[in-house]
Amino acid sequence: MDELFSIHEVKEEIPVDLNEIYDTVIIGGGPAGLTAAIYAGRFRLKALLFEKLAIGGQIAVSELIENYPGFPDGISGSELIELFKKQALKFGTKVLLTDVRKIEKIGDIFYVETEYGRVRSWTIIFATGADPAKLPVPEEEKFRGRGISYCATCDAAFFKDKTVAVVGGGDTALHDALTLSKFAEKVIVVHRRKELRATKILQEACFSNAKISFELEYIPIHVLDEKKVEGLEIENVITKEHKVLKVDGVFVAIGEKPNTELVKGLVEMDERGFIKTNEKMETLVSGLYAVGDARSTPLRQVITACGDAAIAASEVDKYIKNLG
Amino acid sequence: MERLLKEKDAQYIKDLFEKKLEGEVTLTLFIETKGPNVTKFNEQYLPYTEEIVKEVAELSPKIKMNIYTDDFEKEKEYNIKTVSALFIEGNKTNKNIVYYGIPSGHEFSSLLEDIVDVSRGKTELPEDIKGKVQKISSSIEILVFVTPTCPYCPRAVRTAHQFALENPNIKGVMVEANEFPEWSEKYNVYAVPKVVINEGKGEFEGALPEDAFLEAIYDAIGIKLV
Repeated sequence: MDELFSIHEVKEEIPVDLNEIYDTVIIGGGPAGLTAAIYAGRFRLKALLFEKLAIGGQIAVSELIENYPGFPDGISGSELIELFKKQALKFGTKVLLTDVRKIEKIGDIFYVETEYGRVRSWTIIFATGADPAKLPVPEEEKFRGRGISYCATCDAAFFKDKTVAVVGGGDTALHDALTLSKFAEKVIVVHRRKELRATKILQEACFSNAKISFELEYIPIHVLDEKKVEGLEIENVITKEHKVLKVDGVFVAIGEKPNTELVKGLVEMDERGFIKTNEKMETLVSGLYAVGDARSTPLRQVITACGDAAIAASEVDKYIKNLG
Repeated sequence: MERLLKEKDAQYIKDLFEKKLEGEVTLTLFIETKGPNVTKFNEQYLPYTEEIVKEVAELSPKIKMNIYTDDFEKEKEYNIKTVSALFIEGNKTNKNIVYYGIPSGHEFSSLLEDIVDVSRGKTELPEDIKGKVQKISSSIEILVFVTPTCPYCPRAVRTAHQFALENPNIKGVMVEANEFPEWSEKYNVYAVPKVVINEGKGEFEGALPEDAFLEAIYDAIGIKLV
């Protein structure tokens, strides 16, 4: 019980200085943004970080991270993030919990619109990450928050002794299945391919869990029924046969949608909306760097996000020096 | 009971309070030990809620504490819906900043931030939002359903509580969904945060930015936000 009262985050009172031109504004407070903040602080850059929702981003809801080096017994997402944040604050980067509405570049200066006013900066480190992709069924909107969930850590407790489906076959999906198995009576993983994409060690944990079963080569078609979720209709990708799983909840982990609306039309993106950069994390707009999950990249992990951010911050440092 | 706060966290909070607190804050907690209102969930969580309130109150001379046990007269005065109810009170409050259920996990930060705001009698909401919040003249009750493991929930709780501090007509209420399953069921809470305004006149899921949150309140009472 004692860890229920450790300190996650207390909003610090930080005035935004609208007269200042900051060296860099970091947008997004996940692992990438916080790493950029640590590096920026150590370079003694005047830096601000904006996070719209909760420090930590997607990883904050991860129950256990087992592939981030230095923590041989694994560490929870919220604990890891707390350490990141402490380190960022220690080196002086200011962290604000508010959303950015607009980014504009006029001349050499970026104008970042927030509820506190227009903040000016020489550079931007864009670390907005991604959100879970929506379940592609017509009933998504109707049942979102009423049985369709995108956060197993947040919502698992509502499905105590019930049956739930998890859609997806990657690391997140199997992590979710394991989390849910602590509450639900039965967890059914629905995945469109025969093979799961998740790391082998997670697959093994799920296969040996008596509560978890699999429906492979199936895709979701409909969430039933009228008032609340009572079933998930799925279709076999080969035979096209339909069947209905009787479930009380559907948890979704089928990949990500990048949070890149703010820079749409400004930078180059791939067909799914992830931002293209070169190996220095530079985008088409000079002074605008993209890092982490929002970037077009072959792997989206905490460690790769941190790597991106370290490179970007050091490029920002050079860029600022060159401004003279 | 063993102490809930780790020593280094307690020290951190003590420093924070010393730096930030101005006016006096009272933590008013209602508990019941018997009777039909006490559920097995309350029984499980109430001792911890009581303990954490006591430990937090110890961390600053500016924090006072009132714990009412089976005091039905006082309960009426505060118009509480059920146990456990925790009110954060100061000069500017109107028994309108409330926690039902244990403020643990991610919500512990909300509690600390609320104490700071209530003590100073002001919030850090942007000025234009403050203005629009203060204009509301009808009674508003905002329920924010949360779980302690939800990192997005404090944003919603804090927004409701900040609105309440800015306007005595608004009551901001956190509800810990695990502790109140029937209450959660009444409003079909299957994902958190879930916000319910005036008993269902308005509702939404997820943590919204302050202006969108405010718009949902205006919508619920049928006023167009301009």
